[in-house]
Amino acid sequence: MLGRTIAAFTLGMTVALPAIAADAPTEIKIGTLYASSGRYASISMPVHSGLKLWIEQKNAEGGVYVKAFDKKIPIKLVAYDDQSNTATASSLYNQLITQDKVDILVADSGSVLTAPAVAIARDHKMFLFNQTGTGASFFSKDNPYIALMADPVSTIWPKPIADFLIHDGPALGIKKVAILYSTNEFTGTQATAVRKFIKDSGAPLEIVYDQGIPTETTNYTVMINNIRKTQPDAVIHLGYAPNDIALLRNIGEVGVKFKMLFSIYAGLETELLEKNVGAKGLEHVFTYVPPTDLDYPVNFGMTMAQYRAAWNKTYPDGKVEFGFNAVAGYTTALVIEKSLSVATSLDQLELHRAVFSLSGELKTLDGTFGLDEMGGQIGELTPLGQIALKDGHLKFVEIYPHDANNSKPVYPRP
Amino acid sequence: MLVYALVAGVLFGLYFSLVGIGLNLVFGVMRIVNLAHGDFLMLGAFVAFGVVTLAGLDPLLAVPVAFVVFVLVGVALYKILVPRLQGSLNPEMLSIILFFGLSQVIQAITTIFFGTSERSIPSSALGSIFTTARVKLFGGNADDTGGPIEFFGQSFPASWVTAAATSLVAIAFVYLYLYRTRLGTLTRAVMSRRDEALATGIDVDRISAAAFGIGLGLAAVAGVFAPFMFGSVTPAFGADATVTSFAVVVLGSLGNPLGTALGGVVYGICYMLVQTYLSSWADLLPYVLLIFILLLRPSGLLGRQVRVA
Repeated sequence: MLGRTIAAFTLGMTVALPAIAADAPTEIKIGTLYASSGRYASISMPVHSGLKLWIEQKNAEGGVYVKAFDKKIPIKLVAYDDQSNTATASSLYNQLITQDKVDILVADSGSVLTAPAVAIARDHKMFLFNQTGTGASFFSKDNPYIALMADPVSTIWPKPIADFLIHDGPALGIKKVAILYSTNEFTGTQATAVRKFIKDSGAPLEIVYDQGIPTETTNYTVMINNIRKTQPDAVIHLGYAPNDIALLRNIGEVGVKFKMLFSIYAGLETELLEKNVGAKGLEHVFTYVPPTDLDYPVNFGMTMAQYRAAWNKTYPDGKVEFGFNAVAGYTTALVIEKSLSVATSLDQLELHRAVFSLSGELKTLDGTFGLDEMGGQIGELTPLGQIALKDGHLKFVEIYPHDANNSKPVYPRP
Repeated sequence: MLVYALVAGVLFGLYFSLVGIGLNLVFGVMRIVNLAHGDFLMLGAFVAFGVVTLAGLDPLLAVPVAFVVFVLVGVALYKILVPRLQGSLNPEMLSIILFFGLSQVIQAITTIFFGTSERSIPSSALGSIFTTARVKLFGGNADDTGGPIEFFGQSFPASWVTAAATSLVAIAFVYLYLYRTRLGTLTRAVMSRRDEALATGIDVDRISAAAFGIGLGLAAVAGVFAPFMFGSVTPAFGADATVTSFAVVVLGSLGNPLGTALGGVVYGICYMLVQTYLSSWADLLPYVLLIFILLLRPSGLLGRQVRVA
């Protein structure tokens, strides 16, 4: 009996081992797009650079551990430049899936360049590692082929700013709110969310200006004058980095001082904004406090300090700024790495299962990775902060939600 | 709001006249479409960055530097590219392809050297040379610079006024060049009938090279003000600038550089009015204006027949 068992085991191993070795790919292909030029280059290149940094690290260690084959496998990055063009992006996402046959599909940064990938990935039954595309329409209960990696889905992202206006605003004297937003999936969704939070709350707040403008807008002088005429107590601007740069510069140039001004990228890409607007132009601006300033405890991957050091070593020329998007690219990479370490195959629905199994468990430098049932990121709600200028350096002061470390806001702006 | 939009439109529009006038001069003389026009504008912005960051000077000083450098670049480029183009069967069509390629090359090289991120110049730097002179002559505060300028009780960025004033100087320069110099007279002759000008012994190549150089020089001068007018500039900025320039040129009159001045102002006023009352639609304006003008008055607002069948 024992002899038969040993013979059967030996025969089984003789047949099975070569089969496993043959099935293991020589490389894991990660396909993605980036924008080296155009409107979204400044949010795309940091994300792409973060992903590349991780790939270089892993390949230097012999590859990434893949549980499906119980071995480390080198990563091959297949990346194309969509030049911030959605039509080009559509074609290239198709190419990554049908021609390059990538194992893992990663979207470009931002909702505008993620949008074409959502339907294409779903049609081809490819799981989409959505890095920073927060648009609400990307996520639905009947689409298992997507999950948001790094930033909160736009329907809940602006909750801290809305809650601050609702709960603290009236006491500060904030009664009239102006909302100016760029008409794209990302900021359009955030504007809708802010509007809804305020209206549903029943707080004594009146939205006196609510205007969408093209994302390509580069000049805000007329809009600033129009907003000023409505005498708002708070101005909420929801736009991409170039929009924030143009708005903040124009505000300084026409000498208008709004009592409260909120801008997204003053916090998310502070280095970039400071280069273009100057420290003085960012002082007292309300914004989301970025993970670069929060120093979340991690249970996987580098800490923020380690990552910043690795970034500065890899990209010493400073041509790509270190900010939220740089963190987002690396966060995506960590989710991919951890998913490959638990997925039992490279089947796309198994990747979905692996990614969702990390929800609430994975803690990276971007905070807790948490997904809702549709794949929207809900792990960390970015706190509301205000930028202070101390000794010539910009610092974030956390304002809302309230906790022991918070300070009172400077309102109205002096 | 209406008064503000109108004044802002005139200031912004005068700047757009400067953006488009070089493109129109080149088209008027050579009948070629310079699709890299916006990229030379972008390079002018980078000259301004250089003057501010490397030399620590007022970006206004970049105006003569950019003009001279790009006039020379234009003449050199003309000698390399255009004669071969003019010798082809369909120079107008081929010029579109050639200059599109040139645009891509300029954009790629600029990206390699300067990266992809937005770049700006502090508003207070523009005109600082005058502040320094004022403080030296009359005393006062050296920090008191870059503030807004008031018209009709409304505040406008000082940089807009400076850009509009420079545009007026540039338009006057083009007028004097075309109507008060011998080279300008010959240029107008070439613009009017290139073949007849050639037949009468005019050195069309020399005239065209000068026009091409001046066209690029004017684009670079407009570029110096781009960081102030558009908030920031990236190496990819040129494509949008070319589209807007083309709309302004067609609006004024294709082939008539001075028509561009009117085209720019009309474009600026329309843009500011749309931003004020229909802001979501503002970016459609160049295309809508192009369609309207081509349907209603194909020769432009100041147009005369410029094409010879």
